[in-house]
Amino acid sequence: MLTRYERQRILPEIGDSGQEKLSKAKVLVIGFGGLGTPAATYLAEAGIGHLEIVDTDTVSLTNLNRQYLFTEKDIDSYKAHVAERVIGRMNAEISVHGKAQHIDASHIDTAVRGFDAVVDCVDSLETRKIVHDACLKRNIPLIEGGIDGFHGFVACIKKGFPCLNCMGFFSGKQKETTPVLGAVAGIIGSMQALETIKILLHIEDVPFGKILYYDAKRQELEQVDIPGNPECVCHKES
Amino acid sequence: MIEVRLFATLRDNREKIYFLPADKFRCALDIYGYLDIPKEEVSTLLINGFHKKPEDEVKDNDVVALFPPVGGG
Repeated sequence: MLTRYERQRILPEIGDSGQEKLSKAKVLVIGFGGLGTPAATYLAEAGIGHLEIVDTDTVSLTNLNRQYLFTEKDIDSYKAHVAERVIGRMNAEISVHGKAQHIDASHIDTAVRGFDAVVDCVDSLETRKIVHDACLKRNIPLIEGGIDGFHGFVACIKKGFPCLNCMGFFSGKQKETTPVLGAVAGIIGSMQALETIKILLHIEDVPFGKILYYDAKRQELEQVDIPGNPECVCHKES
Repeated sequence: MIEVRLFATLRDNREKIYFLPADKFRCALDIYGYLDIPKEEVSTLLINGFHKKPEDEVKDNDVVALFPPVGGG
């Protein structure tokens, strides 16, 4: 019998058993902006059985150059609520839950608990670190992504591998307003969805402990090994 | 020579790789100055794959990699 997943089910790396795994998977997407929109879209369409989308913001006019699931009618609505409605409508076979909730250190452990993977699509270094450290502590694979102009990165983080703390990633000064071109956000968010599916299905060796940098001007991808720091929390037992 | 590799937005209006004469640079901060990179724009400095401070020494045949914070989502 043909299903909506037929064109991916025929991939030998997926098949019936892989599709079954995806249908049972629980994935948390934190941030529903330029990255979260494509990431959640492709995860939903791939058939991730339980998708939770967390974002505290409301839709603004300046989101509409890249956050393609919003319309002008959505301005001032909570992104998470729109996400639940729109992503839920894309695939009625899955459960989509949107939470208009701020992520902070006081409840992050509860927020990530029970998920098979977390996709971090936020735009604040401080929140990134909170999510990153909670996933390491709970041993939940984290698929981190970021963009700035014509550049972006994806990093797959997991306890036991060098992490972003190891390389001092969260230091430095973040721009107040990051320039974003929608097409670049689309590429990085799609790569986050792809790495999530690969992690859930154990497809190939997931590049844990590495950062993949994308240069859209030069159309180049470069993989960088994160230097491990023995003193870092990622190497210690919780 | 010192090989200097820039990543992400640090490449904007610059090359992605420079080969610099080792005798002109004492530490990574000297390289920042030569390439007109403000210190606060570098979140991560690696020398030969190890996390280092801008004041740390550089020498011939070192590979220096500079990364900015990439925080947008």
